[in-house]
Amino acid sequence: MQLDSPLGVGDAAPDFALAVADADATSLSDFRGESVLLVLASPHWDPASEMLAARYPDAGDGAPMPRIVTERRAEITNRFGVQGGSALYVVDERGVIRWRWVAGVDVVPQSSVDTDDDRLSLTRRDFVQSAMMAAAALAAATLAPAVVNAAPAVPDVTAALSHGPATRITLDVNGRPLALDVEPRVTLLDALRERAGLTGTKKGCDHGQCGACTVHIDGRRVLSCLTLAVMVPDGAHVTTIEGLAQGDTLHPMQQAFIEHDGFQCGYCTSGQIMSATAVVREPWGPADDDVREAMSGNICRCGAYPGIVAAVQSQRQSRSAEGPR
Amino acid sequence: MIDFTYRRAASVDDAVRSGAGAAQQTRFIAGGTNLVDLMKLDVERPAAIVDINVLGATDRSLAAVSDLPDGGLRLGALARMSDVAWDARVKERYPVVSQSLLLAASGQLRNMATLAGNIMQRTRCPYFRDVAMACNKREPGSGCSAILGINRTHAVLGGSDKCIAVHPSDFAVALVALDATVHVHGPSGARAIPIAKFHLLPGQHPERETVLQPGDLITAIDLPALPFARRSLYLKVRDRASYAFALASAAVALDVQGGTIRAARVALGGIGTKPWRSAAAEHALVGRPASAATFRAASQAALADARPLRDNRFKVPLARRTLERALAEVTA
Repeated sequence: MQLDSPLGVGDAAPDFALAVADADATSLSDFRGESVLLVLASPHWDPASEMLAARYPDAGDGAPMPRIVTERRAEITNRFGVQGGSALYVVDERGVIRWRWVAGVDVVPQSSVDTDDDRLSLTRRDFVQSAMMAAAALAAATLAPAVVNAAPAVPDVTAALSHGPATRITLDVNGRPLALDVEPRVTLLDALRERAGLTGTKKGCDHGQCGACTVHIDGRRVLSCLTLAVMVPDGAHVTTIEGLAQGDTLHPMQQAFIEHDGFQCGYCTSGQIMSATAVVREPWGPADDDVREAMSGNICRCGAYPGIVAAVQSQRQSRSAEGPR
Repeated sequence: MIDFTYRRAASVDDAVRSGAGAAQQTRFIAGGTNLVDLMKLDVERPAAIVDINVLGATDRSLAAVSDLPDGGLRLGALARMSDVAWDARVKERYPVVSQSLLLAASGQLRNMATLAGNIMQRTRCPYFRDVAMACNKREPGSGCSAILGINRTHAVLGGSDKCIAVHPSDFAVALVALDATVHVHGPSGARAIPIAKFHLLPGQHPERETVLQPGDLITAIDLPALPFARRSLYLKVRDRASYAFALASAAVALDVQGGTIRAARVALGGIGTKPWRSAAAEHALVGRPASAATFRAASQAALADARPLRDNRFKVPLARRTLERALAEVTA
């Protein structure tokens, strides 16, 4: 997969037609003359982008606020070089990018600020404030509360986004390369969800007790919440729930969970399915009780267990009908 | 989680050196299932983490199960619980080991957690895991919240006035029953430690849990040849049917010939401050007929020294019955 570099500070923001036309704007260029906060997020990151856009206006203290444009169509985000990831851009009155925060596939999250540029038509205060707000909004979505609280006191937008020395890691996630600079304390779960935008893997207990974060590393089911991202062996294949379906065709286990009512609220389901797709390869006995034992590391508070057992059994039986594994 | 430095060990010697230099500040990480959890809780606050997983790639024996010349098995320190549990030789020669591993944790955790990490795991005492509470093990001298607190899950054997935390490992209970040997590389070279001497009673220093010193790295666990261990069993009783720590458990192996018990191995889990070998129970078994009366007497003997507290009295009869049933099942 060819990856482009995301657009950076000083680049002209590509114009595009707004997904939802405003009373006075149908395209990005209609906002010339004022600054715009552009929230680019993939569909995978939908809840986070909503949160970013929603929280941003609340953080103001009367200073002029940039307009907020949320955009998640792939053909647009691709033009910014942000494939499958997420980004925030502050675009100035002339349509030039003045600040960015980028996270995603093969991209190092970073912010770039150039407040000494005399061409900058935003006032320094407005600009720093809007960048700060973007950082704070993002921090609210991705970082610990203590960091959010600290942000206003630190007039450096990068401080809210990065803490210690980062290590470059290269993962293979669902067959695609993913290069990230992460601190050692970042779990694989947080790297997948907050950095790669793969939010199908869920954070339940975050302590290895619920199984919601189950992913495969080289085909073995493991808990991403107790795996530090830096520990994933070089060249290892990570598979998440997003990697099971082939295009629009669901994985047979996904289809089985639907057919056998293997979920209610759905929060544990991606972990259940990732566990189940590994269980069929493990040497368990044939009984329902064997499935219950094999799947006991995946907790379902809705109590969809009978459907889960039925779904797993249907796949084990269809696999054994096909012959030896 | 606090910040820390991370690096991958280049060799066993390299790991030993990095661990020895910085004392308590450095932790080895392999599966990470216990350490990362405790780091998130702020119970563990290492300054440096040394990843030893890569050592298994350069020396496969560190992560493998291999035959010993005398008929025993060498279990690599980095071998994952699930791989050892499903190993055909382990299942055949030491079913108690396979069962102790399969009845522990979950499928995901067993795919991650290593054998050495398993015997090094910290207690599940809720006061130890809560940094707001006093705990002599976590913070020496701060007091024990469990002795007068909610102590339903705590130890009835091996406790002191400083600590009554249960050792949580199932696997280690099977190991003490089998007289396994722990191989360690340390700053002054390699040494072998009998598993019975590996874990320490809390006494006045519950913060000291094993005889390991800074820099010591476990490389293997040897199971000695023990033909009658083919008839061995691990029975675990817990609050739910699966995926829970033991309230009481028993690891048993009996050599029965002509209806008479010639040799016996008995260890208990879930009730002791360390994996609990019971010489008294073995003494009550050897030379006697393999009968219900013998098993009952052995079970009484095993718990004779029990010192229960307010909430864990039930563990004494529970452990007795667990052992009694394990002995009956292994001879059935």
